[in-house]
Amino acid sequence: MSEPLSKIPVGMKYYFGSQARLRRDVEDLAMAVFRGWSYEEIVTPTIDYYALFERGMGRSQAHRAFRFTDTDGRLLALRPDITSSVARAAATLFAERARPLRFCYAATVFHQRPRSHAEWRRETTHLGCELIGARGVNADLEVLLIAAEILRRLGLAGDYRITLNDVEVFNGVAENLKLDETAREHLRQLIDARNASELREFLAPYAPAEDCIAFAQLTRLAGKSEMFDRARHLIVNERSRRALENLEALWRALEALGLADSFEIDLGDVSELDYYTGLVFRIYVRGLGVRVGNGGRYDGLTANFGRAEPAIGFIFDLDSLTDVLWRRRGAQDAGDGGARLRDEDRIALFRSALRLREADERVLIEF
Amino acid sequence: MEREELTKLTIALAKGRMQEEAQRLLLRAGIELDETLNGSRRLTAYDRRGRYRLVFVKPADVPVYVEHGIADCGIVGRDVLMEAEADVLQPLDLGINRCRIAVAAKGPDDVTRNLGMLRVATKYPRIAAAHFGRRGIPVEIIELAGSVELAPVLGLSDCIVDLVETGRTLAENGLQVVEVIAESTGRLVANRASYQLKAEAMAELIAALGRASEREG
Repeated sequence: MSEPLSKIPVGMKYYFGSQARLRRDVEDLAMAVFRGWSYEEIVTPTIDYYALFERGMGRSQAHRAFRFTDTDGRLLALRPDITSSVARAAATLFAERARPLRFCYAATVFHQRPRSHAEWRRETTHLGCELIGARGVNADLEVLLIAAEILRRLGLAGDYRITLNDVEVFNGVAENLKLDETAREHLRQLIDARNASELREFLAPYAPAEDCIAFAQLTRLAGKSEMFDRARHLIVNERSRRALENLEALWRALEALGLADSFEIDLGDVSELDYYTGLVFRIYVRGLGVRVGNGGRYDGLTANFGRAEPAIGFIFDLDSLTDVLWRRRGAQDAGDGGARLRDEDRIALFRSALRLREADERVLIEF
Repeated sequence: MEREELTKLTIALAKGRMQEEAQRLLLRAGIELDETLNGSRRLTAYDRRGRYRLVFVKPADVPVYVEHGIADCGIVGRDVLMEAEADVLQPLDLGINRCRIAVAAKGPDDVTRNLGMLRVATKYPRIAAAHFGRRGIPVEIIELAGSVELAPVLGLSDCIVDLVETGRTLAENGLQVVEVIAESTGRLVANRASYQLKAEAMAELIAALGRASEREG
């Protein structure tokens, strides 16, 4: 028995009408901002070796990809991210180019398994940029300002929040507790879920009672500059302390640039530790229950492709952005305004159409 | 949408077993529901000061509403969260409705005798599969919607994985707890985006509920 053709696979959707126009406008706007910051567009292969993504994203993330085999039996994947491919290009194709490299893209990625129930799409478009070969607060600041500019130009100023963390804060704590890999992952999950009570129980065998309570506070350490003083009292190991200093320097700069209102420090954001090596951030917009973007520093990634160098980048999820803007703005008419053309004489009809098009006027041929 | 502007947070409450204790806890936290709610079939209510909108949904739907951000936070049992594998924050253990998720059978032998393929009846297929998976025991999960205790009695399964509060229902059916998988209590869960975008209101609610649940404990 054949399946009805009316059915669409789970996690796929059409865009049309004013929603499609909005989506296109958002994409164009983001790409223009990237260009404004001297980022060069890069188009990566839609299909690539699965091994690339396994190396680039880590096994647990790469596993979500659609996979199939090439004619020679090697495993291929529909790209589940763009960054892996850009990092490989930076280490190989652009090995000789002067640093830093600045790349941007607007490209679809595919996941056979969605990340969560609320993020159900299996095809999404990433608007992203990567700054490769630059380290330090200035590089971190550059990409944060790009993200903020895109949100502002989308009319979302005051309605977005970017949370900042440095994964080294967590890594320092975990290292200090001398956790094995399983325990470290469990600790990460508890902090990520802000589960303070289970975190205290989990830590009990590893640390004195007062330390447990202090670490459990990690889940609550969110806020603005006042947060740093509290954090410094609770977290004393060297590795975490250095990370806190970096974060604070970044924060001072954001404050000085008048952006502190839109940012927040959140030491509990430890979602993707295997991938990121320093700053991580997540972007939320009022009106949507899931993040619209995220990014961070991934200094370890390009080493996988033979050349270790610092790198930072982020993506906006175009579909989520379109969703939230669409809900806020409501449907908007494209307006007609175009010339409606009708003529019995075929040549006369199309001659006038061509003339109007030459002047960049919108035409509508009537039938 | 306009009402949402006035209201700081929407809270999803699990109907049924937990609802009464959750509402008592809310009351101790100074969140008093508009009286018109009592006995009515309305599915939403506001607190007296209009700060919170409460929606009453089935327990399994609480993480769904919260994960999508339709509710900013929710009150639901840990059992439901473990089963749903929902991507939500769990900032507070409220300590209400304390019970256990356990393996129960007619006797301990029923779980060890049939190691070739253990038949497990449950409302919690994921928790059951994960539990026996960790122990390397192959299982056939038989998913039931209710009255799970009947399954071993009638021979549908060797054991059950279910929520045990007092153990009375088990005893009445000639079953006993053979292994505790996890303790479960009512949890405050929060949407990731709301936790950041409505940070102040969220911190206020967490602090109030935290104080109220400590007084209880």
